[in-house]
Amino acid sequence: MDIGIRAAQEFLGKDLLRDRISAGSNNEHYVRIEEQEFESAVSHLAANKFVLISLFCCEGFTANTVQTLFYVFERRTSILILVRGVNGCATSIADIYPSASWFERECRDGFGVEFEGAFDTRRLFLHETYSEGFHPLKKAFKNVPVITKETINPADEYPFREVKGEGVYQVPVGPVHAGIIEPGHFRFSVIGETIFNLEVRMFYKHRGIEKLAEGKSPQECVRIAEAVSGDESVANVTAFCMTIEQISQIPVPERAWYLRTILLELERICSHIGDQAGMLVDVAFPLGANQFSVLREECFRENDRLTGSRFLRDMICIGGMNRDIPKRSIDELALFVKQLRKRYRTGLKIVLSTASVIDRFATTGVIRPALLRPLNITGPSARASGGKVDVRLNHPYGIYNQFRPKLQRLRDGDVLSRFTIKASEVMDSLDLIERLIAAMPEGNVSNDVPIRDGYTLSMVESARGQNLCWVWIKDGVIERYKVRTASFGNWLAIEHAVQGNIIPDFPVINKSMNLSYAGTDL
Amino acid sequence: MVNALTCLLKKKVTEDNPVRDEDVEAIGREIKAAINAVFGRSLAIRELDTGSDNATEIEINNLNNPYYDVERFGITFVASPRHADILLVTGAVTHNMAIAAKKTYDAMPSPKFVIAVGDDACTGGIFAGTYAVLGGADRIFPVDLKIPGNPPTPTQILTGLLALMHKARKE
Repeated sequence: MDIGIRAAQEFLGKDLLRDRISAGSNNEHYVRIEEQEFESAVSHLAANKFVLISLFCCEGFTANTVQTLFYVFERRTSILILVRGVNGCATSIADIYPSASWFERECRDGFGVEFEGAFDTRRLFLHETYSEGFHPLKKAFKNVPVITKETINPADEYPFREVKGEGVYQVPVGPVHAGIIEPGHFRFSVIGETIFNLEVRMFYKHRGIEKLAEGKSPQECVRIAEAVSGDESVANVTAFCMTIEQISQIPVPERAWYLRTILLELERICSHIGDQAGMLVDVAFPLGANQFSVLREECFRENDRLTGSRFLRDMICIGGMNRDIPKRSIDELALFVKQLRKRYRTGLKIVLSTASVIDRFATTGVIRPALLRPLNITGPSARASGGKVDVRLNHPYGIYNQFRPKLQRLRDGDVLSRFTIKASEVMDSLDLIERLIAAMPEGNVSNDVPIRDGYTLSMVESARGQNLCWVWIKDGVIERYKVRTASFGNWLAIEHAVQGNIIPDFPVINKSMNLSYAGTDL
Repeated sequence: MVNALTCLLKKKVTEDNPVRDEDVEAIGREIKAAINAVFGRSLAIRELDTGSDNATEIEINNLNNPYYDVERFGITFVASPRHADILLVTGAVTHNMAIAAKKTYDAMPSPKFVIAVGDDACTGGIFAGTYAVLGGADRIFPVDLKIPGNPPTPTQILTGLLALMHKARKE
């Protein structure tokens, strides 16, 4: 029996559960929960090691309440969603699930839902430039330009947690950073060079992705999913298309899934090699960095030859693929993979036999395994700390059931572990692509798409970890598009990983976790 | 220990640049000549992300990989706007970034140039007319050149830089 259903039976009782439960089209289970049952249900799930992987809000979902909150819990292969109707006010679960804090603040900004008992009630994605009382995701608000403040009173500035004491001082960094990188603010509290506390402030790039999708046709929304985060375009578009395909019961041709999987793995390779180059730049080892940055550029060029886009864009569509990839290009890809593997090994050998690199990587920026569950840390960052999380294995989608990747795990959780995990995953992805090419079936690559109404959840393993997408189609258009990329959870991990490290090691720790600002800020 | 000692004693690892892209070399030579003529041999660029999807940042970063290695042509990416001749702006300007973006522009010494890189920075792209963005970069400061693309390739960005050099020379 599904462990999610069993847990729900335990806290609700068999009879009650029968009327309350409904199965989603992607193997997730929705359980309606009454206010008086809510707290004991959450405590029960927490005691049974369920992870809160998302919490989002929706208007007009239930008939008798204004807003509906969806608490998405995961344990191993099962997904349980608690559906809680509220009227502008709810109790906070951030003291049980720390990851709920950002989610609750997100719901408050978007929909004006107040969370009682929350330890942090600061605004999240609406910075102080927006006026109080503005909640863009309410249905009553039409998506039109708004007037914001041009200057901020010092009294209205965002209150960072201040660490006080003799010899403690604050180092503010950002939002505009020194390198070619996305904007975000880091507030370090340091003693000498040692980081005592870090507070991350994000959402400078909040572009209103979720609101933008509303009222659009699913086909139009593919372009929006692509813009969530540039270097995980394939993952986010796949997740989005999967929801529509599940809702409308559109069968995706087998060949299309082979091609999609090749693109997903190519995106992972590109991303991992790029991180490795970046990590080596950050420890001042350009010889090693250039090994990887050359290979990454060649990956981009191969992407371009294969799909006409260096970021593999505009290929995946609802129902399959926009166009087939000709056999000649696939054959070239096979050759490319072969020589890439060889040269990648050479690069790795240079790096891993250089003592100065190992010295900077080892024991730096440790993510403790105890943090994985409370903060929902996923992807290579979790696997480098011993986490058994990989959506391709826990919730296989497409053809990952037939082509199961190895679960790569290390225990130390430092920068070196993350570097090595990524190396193993690049190798695995290269193998996987070869297996896919060898087994590639012939046939068409897309099916017709009559869109039906409904809602469902989907998950994809992007290069950064677990990307989640929830879509509700009403009257043939998007009523709600919720995205939660892996970075949303992983950003919280960095606040812990840097403690006790020195500021000069911050860039390499940051790069080793490869966090997307765009994918978090939406 | 043995590993550390071997690393200390063995021959220094180095190699020739194995990659060369003739298109890039040709544009690079022209850029170098233009930078020599207009900017006194070096061009300092500050990159500013006002709300991109990060693909444009990746392509700008790629200008520093050995295939392009634009430092050879006199182009450096600088850490502070106070050292910059050019501001490369990516992404639609979000409300949350607008104040910081203006401060960055104001911190640059004159004469200064602004290039909008990518569709979103040029016009606001798919985000134009929505609550979270002001629009393209020209909504908050004057823009001298627009390089469209989703995202533009490193070569297209270089070609854009060259166009700006020609424009600056005329002015």
